[in-house]
Amino acid sequence: MRVLTAIIAIAVGILILLGYFLPQAAVVQVVLLDWAIVLAGTAALIGVFNLVAVHAEKIRRKEKNGVYSAILIIGLFASFLFGLVLKPQSDFMQFVVLEGVIIPVEASLMALLAVSLLYAAVRLLRRRADVMSVFFVLAASLIFLGSVTLPFGDIPLIGTLIRPWVSQILALGGARGILIGVALGALTTGLRVLFGVDRPYGGR
Amino acid sequence: MFPFFDLIAGTLAFFLTLMILSYLIGDNPLFKIAVYLFVGVASGYAAAVVFWQVLYPKLFQPTAVILQSGDYARGGLLVAPWLGFAFILMKISPRLAGIARITMAFLVGVGAAVTVAGALTGTILPQANATINFFDQDYAAARNIGAFEALGNGAILLAGAVASLAYFHFGARQKTDGSTRRFGSVELLAWVGRVFIGVTLGAIFAGVYAAALTALIERVSYLVNFVQSLLALF
Repeated sequence: MRVLTAIIAIAVGILILLGYFLPQAAVVQVVLLDWAIVLAGTAALIGVFNLVAVHAEKIRRKEKNGVYSAILIIGLFASFLFGLVLKPQSDFMQFVVLEGVIIPVEASLMALLAVSLLYAAVRLLRRRADVMSVFFVLAASLIFLGSVTLPFGDIPLIGTLIRPWVSQILALGGARGILIGVALGALTTGLRVLFGVDRPYGGR
Repeated sequence: MFPFFDLIAGTLAFFLTLMILSYLIGDNPLFKIAVYLFVGVASGYAAAVVFWQVLYPKLFQPTAVILQSGDYARGGLLVAPWLGFAFILMKISPRLAGIARITMAFLVGVGAAVTVAGALTGTILPQANATINFFDQDYAAARNIGAFEALGNGAILLAGAVASLAYFHFGARQKTDGSTRRFGSVELLAWVGRVFIGVTLGAIFAGVYAAALTALIERVSYLVNFVQSLLALF
């Protein structure tokens, strides 16, 4: 099984990579990607099933927060069954499920961030007042002061000169370094899988 | 039909918003109910979307068409996804979960190849090109930027990208006393990198904070509007 899974992963990876360079291999690439979409969708359903299983177990064991697990399972089955019968684009799903539950809760959780982020920034300065955190707070304050509309009007220079320069040159330089670093890390991880060094599917 | 759904959605949204914002006075059962309900409803919705937008059009519908038409020769391309579908379902049973490794290997292979290609063509090359463009005099002239300013900005941007990368370089040499330390030049670059990364994270923080503040204002305004429209009814 170990050899078979490694052969499948490496062969599929090479065939898909070939599709980027050889037009003849592009057809195979499209078919393989189509299969991957179906299988990733099935894996997502298995994930939802696992969520149900974990919370059903909590209810069965009568754990302390079992009532919340029951709410989760009821909500899950209700939206899944209505979604299956009515389809996700139906008015009921769009109005009640999306606009009634999902979007308001997401927006409210985002709103909570306004308080928790401020608290975290203050704690950062208290606990770790090093070069990075000083520049972090300085840049955040400058950009924020340059962006907001103040009752007495814009602060001279900050909104027109300093904020654009900090966000478009200084911050962009750092962001570019971070992005290239992340991409290099992803590239190395991908290559390690394609060479069979790493086998996250359970080979080694 | 729409006003009725609108009323249900508005009432649900009002109470759920209140329940989530109640976290500001501390963790409480109302907040937990709202969050667990959200996770359940969102998971169920995602599962329904996966069924209708992925599995049905790409697997079930084509199979039904082939079975109805009797043209089984066209079904060759559906054998592999059906096998993968069956194998991955084995994950549900702990005894048969090992068979699902075949499908997982397929998915990991696809993911690795797409990641390699995406990282190279989607990030490394475009970001490197964009950094080079800052030194392009024609590009600067098109944006009404002077040659000296373009060179200065390009140099700072390049220094920021290189120094930020150096910050994540953890290669070190061992000294005679057994301690390990980065090379002097890398250490210096990494220090500069910390400044750039601090500024970048600060800029991102400011953006996220502004978005969070906008969301807070929108939610509070929604609560006020909902109460006002309810009061207007009586």
